[in-house]
Amino acid sequence: MDYLAQYLPILIFLFIAAGLSAAFVFLPMGVSRLTGAHNPDTEKLSEYECGFPAFEEPRSQFDVRFYLVAILFIIFDLEAAFLFPWAVSLDLTGWPGWITMMIFLGELIVGFAYAWKVGALEWE
Amino acid sequence: MQTSILLIVFLPLLAAIVGGLGNRALGNTVVKSLTTGALFVSCALSWPIFLGFLGWFGLSAETQVVPVMTWVQSGTLTFDWALRVDTLTAVMLVVITTVSALVHLYSWGYMEEDPDQPRFFAYLSLFTFAMLMLVTADNLVQMFFGWEGVGLASYLLIGFWFRKPSANKAAIKAFVVNRVGDLGFMLGIFGTYLVFQTTSIPEILAAAPGMSGSTIGFLGYRLQTMDILCILLFIGAMGKSAQLGLHTWLPDAMEGPTPVSALIHAATMVTAGVFMVCRLSPMFETAPVALGVVTFIGAATCFFAATIGTTQWDIKRVIAYSTCSQLGYMFFAAGVGAYGAAMFHLFTHAFFKALLFLGAGSVIHAMHHEQDMRYYGNLRKHIPLTFWAMMAGTLAITGVGVLYVFGFAGFYSKDAILEAAYARGTGLGNFAFWAGAFAALLTSFYSWRLMFLTFWGRPRWIESEHIQHSVHKTPEEAGEDTTGGYHPHESPASMLVPLGVLTLGAIFAGFLFTGDFIDSEAFWGGSIYYNENLIHALHGVPYWVKLTATFVMLTGFAIAWFAYIRDTSIPGKFVEQFRLVHAFVYNKWYFDELYHAVFVKPAFWLGRQFWLRGDKGLIDRFGPDGAAWAVAQGSAVAKRVQSGYLTSYALIMLLGLVAAITWVLM
Amino acid sequence: MDYSISLRLIAPEILLSVSGLVLLLVAAWGGQKTGRLVSILSAAALFGAGLMLFPTLHLGVVGPDTFAFGDQFRADAFAAFAKALIYLAGIGCLMVAPTYFDRLKAMKPEYPVLLLFAVLGMSIMVSASDFLTLYIGLELNSLAAYVLAAFLRNDTRSAESGLKYFVLGALASGILLYGMSLLYGFTGTTSFEGVRVALSGEMSTGMLFGLIFVLAGLAFKISAVPFHMWTPDVYEGAPTPVTTFFATAPKVAAIALTARVALDAFGTQVDAWRQVVIFAALASILVGALGAIGQQNLKRLLAYSSINNVGFILIGLAAGTVGGVGAMLVYLAIYVAMSLGSFVALLMLRDENGDALATFADISGLSAKRPALAWCLLALMFSLAGIPPLLGFFGKFVVFQAGVEADMVALAAFGIAASVIGAFYYIKFVKVMFFDDASERSVADSTTAHWVLLVVTTAIVSPLGYLVTPSLGDLTDKAASALFLLP
Repeated sequence: MDYLAQYLPILIFLFIAAGLSAAFVFLPMGVSRLTGAHNPDTEKLSEYECGFPAFEEPRSQFDVRFYLVAILFIIFDLEAAFLFPWAVSLDLTGWPGWITMMIFLGELIVGFAYAWKVGALEWE
Repeated sequence: MQTSILLIVFLPLLAAIVGGLGNRALGNTVVKSLTTGALFVSCALSWPIFLGFLGWFGLSAETQVVPVMTWVQSGTLTFDWALRVDTLTAVMLVVITTVSALVHLYSWGYMEEDPDQPRFFAYLSLFTFAMLMLVTADNLVQMFFGWEGVGLASYLLIGFWFRKPSANKAAIKAFVVNRVGDLGFMLGIFGTYLVFQTTSIPEILAAAPGMSGSTIGFLGYRLQTMDILCILLFIGAMGKSAQLGLHTWLPDAMEGPTPVSALIHAATMVTAGVFMVCRLSPMFETAPVALGVVTFIGAATCFFAATIGTTQWDIKRVIAYSTCSQLGYMFFAAGVGAYGAAMFHLFTHAFFKALLFLGAGSVIHAMHHEQDMRYYGNLRKHIPLTFWAMMAGTLAITGVGVLYVFGFAGFYSKDAILEAAYARGTGLGNFAFWAGAFAALLTSFYSWRLMFLTFWGRPRWIESEHIQHSVHKTPEEAGEDTTGGYHPHESPASMLVPLGVLTLGAIFAGFLFTGDFIDSEAFWGGSIYYNENLIHALHGVPYWVKLTATFVMLTGFAIAWFAYIRDTSIPGKFVEQFRLVHAFVYNKWYFDELYHAVFVKPAFWLGRQFWLRGDKGLIDRFGPDGAAWAVAQGSAVAKRVQSGYLTSYALIMLLGLVAAITWVLM
Repeated sequence: MDYSISLRLIAPEILLSVSGLVLLLVAAWGGQKTGRLVSILSAAALFGAGLMLFPTLHLGVVGPDTFAFGDQFRADAFAAFAKALIYLAGIGCLMVAPTYFDRLKAMKPEYPVLLLFAVLGMSIMVSASDFLTLYIGLELNSLAAYVLAAFLRNDTRSAESGLKYFVLGALASGILLYGMSLLYGFTGTTSFEGVRVALSGEMSTGMLFGLIFVLAGLAFKISAVPFHMWTPDVYEGAPTPVTTFFATAPKVAAIALTARVALDAFGTQVDAWRQVVIFAALASILVGALGAIGQQNLKRLLAYSSINNVGFILIGLAAGTVGGVGAMLVYLAIYVAMSLGSFVALLMLRDENGDALATFADISGLSAKRPALAWCLLALMFSLAGIPPLLGFFGKFVVFQAGVEADMVALAAFGIAASVIGAFYYIKFVKVMFFDDASERSVADSTTAHWVLLVVTTAIVSPLGYLVTPSLGDLTDKAASALFLLP
């Protein structure tokens, strides 16, 4: 039982979180229902989203170019992420570490060159 | 001599293999020439060996064992392929190769129009090889190999016209009935090995006298070892030689082509049982009870088959029952100890019975495949050569001859057998003598009946459906002309030549060889048990015994003449008078019906139960059918699960993962 | 650490990666017309890399001499054997592709480059002796494979198969990665050697979780039941040369990798995973056979057939002995030949318009139209069914023998019984081709490359193959011993 007891705070936390979130949703609904006038029309019932009027299904397709750019961004983003630990530990890894990273960067450059050449970076 | 022995045995095999596999690719003529040629070579090589044993023409021969190869070596059980040739084998060699060569030749004419000739000739050669293997066997297993080989060839040849249901039935019947006998033979071989620790025939024969009087326990009884073994072996002989009880397949085997009947079901295969008893004669001599059984069964068969022969209408069946009856003679001769006489009768019988069958084939050929003697008549003027050949055969089988002067083949051998039975002096010997004598009377009667119905009288051809088909007339249309305008024609030379050769055999085989076969211990050279005293007594029997055979032969002839020439209404009146007796005999003593009720029906019932309840209900249902059903169901489930939805695929993967973890944790 | 030795050990991989990068640039600058050239150069690179394996394979080198980069990578005989098979299969798949893609005007140079990278990934997989090396190889292979599956991106089925493969592959990668992290968490190391030492003795629940998750992730790659669900859909949808590739090289790589992980990293806990592997083997044999029986589509049928074959291979793994692994490798080699041959035959089955003869109805009566093709297919199908004297029988035989010798008689007996179910649909091929009325579809001529591959593979599975079985057995025995260096 004491094994499970360790999880008790988490359980309590879960209950509190669930209670709070439920309160945030249902409290305004209940208060407005009780206090305000209930008089719906079309404008009032339509969704409100970031200033755009809701013309179409929210699951509509995006242009694939968004994905392409996003993917390319992530690849080079990660590359940069690798550079930080490499840079701070270069004194430990020495020349082998430096050469390895250069090879890695070289491979990335080949990929970059390919993407550039085949036109993946052009929007049109 | 070694080379020639090997050639004799293996040439037919080679011809059978080449001819059988070559079949249509080689064509009719090539295969026929090949097989027939091989057999004639075998035959030509066999005669010098036989004459050598006789010591004629300055030739000489001695017992030889030609090793071929090692066959089995397993613990104490060892035996080789070896070809043993002694006097006994030499006799069989000439009988087999001669008749086989002649039958091959005869088949050129007889099977002329058959579409499957290469197959037929290959089977014939295969049979010959198996038969040669049987008679040259040096050990019991090799003999069994030949034994089964001839059984197989017999099955194939009886069912040669496999599109005919009756031929198929007859083939299966022959095979199944032979299995009963073969079981006995196998048990005999097993038992012999158990007792003697060897399957080598010479070793067994040498050790047999020492075993006399020993007993073995079986189901709580003490039994005479040698009697049991010999009776088991004799059961095998009964099956193969169609002796009373296991004889039912032989008449049906006549469904095969007539040359087959002549070769297999008259001259050679059916005599294998007699050969085996003679080959093992020193062993049988140590088993008095078994010898008594052999005598009794032989005598009973000899009488019983002869009675049936008197009533049959189918020309081939008459001869088939006659064969059965003659085999009975051989067995009781062996049973009373006159092995030489048994072999002598085997030898002469091969010639005249093959002759009778081939003659009958020639008649059938002439009469447009009609086999019923009721529709023959007056043929002697139309096919004279066949008639004279048949006449010689009939004179030989009925044993026509004058004491001390000359006789046809059967005269010497049959008389010797009857005299030996009488000379034996025991009760069973006397029984055999009288049964044999009565059978001889019947033999004479049915043989002459056959001759008179076929060759004398007025033609009754038009009543035969075969003839009607041939001349396109019904009996009404034909009116007074009972020939229907049909013209029987003599057979071609290829059929007449074998008839001629066999005619010579039927006339002279007895006269020429009687001295050696019956009286010469030197001739046999220890290959069979030779009872000196019995032969001595045989020559000393009273004159009335010696004349009995001739007397009954004449009586039979007289009855046949009265009934079928002088007053043809007699048979009808006789049947009228003794309706029950006639029905009993005509229906072959109701053996087939009895077996059908006692064995076949229950076996069918049992088989049906096994089939419906066991095989279909149990094995198929839970075996193949059930498995197929389960597989089909499983396949349907597998298809349903493979829905194409990614979510369900992922779910199954996760379920599998959870299941694996759960399993390992437990 | 002596880098020169390490670099020499990974020479084939270096060759492949450099060729891949260079050819990628060639593809970028040369455009679509270089497709054939890049294919040939890729094949040459694979061949060259294969030649480098020869000494290791021939001498059967195993042990510390083969450890590169501090035992993160092992270039031993076991890896060399698997690599040789993978490279050969890769070359075969390069040979058959141009004809297929030319017709669709889709012979892009990216196909050979992607294939090269996939092979490189496999090459790393089979040599991996560290979970990180394993993961890098696996992902390199997988990512290339996802793109290959969707290579005909305008074809909805190809796109669908690529997507399905990707999503489920990502799930499987997640499972694998989770297992690896659990193992790292509980053992404190990612090297196989370290994990092996840490796992000896009593296993904690966490380790057990990690072990099962890793095996489940690998089971996805070898498409063992119940992680096989993607296989029929992906095989059917992907372009046939790609399917040919999927059915051969990645199978070899994944199975070799699984064997190394199971027997090296988890070698001290054989009893923990054996039952799972036995279940996967039985389920694969059964589901593969049952699934195939209901199929009319030939490609889909062969997909199920590959699942079925994986089951037999896993019997060798379940044995957990040198003999078992050797049998597995023998089976793999034969399986690659049979699979390659049968898929090449499928590629050759096209009518005059270039449309594939995809179902049983299409190939009925093939023997009358294309007797040579039909007879080759007959040999391949009989071999897959395991009918002697074809080599497929030998493969099954050695696997069952290994099972029996490892006291798993029941498993072997079940396998034998279930292979009867499999025989049904293989023989159905023969029945349809030889005994059914001819369909109306004509069959077009095939190119020399196809014929060469078909004839070579048929010759291998034919009784001629028994000539090489003794030397093959030698090779596999040496290779298998690489996994059993430690007690």
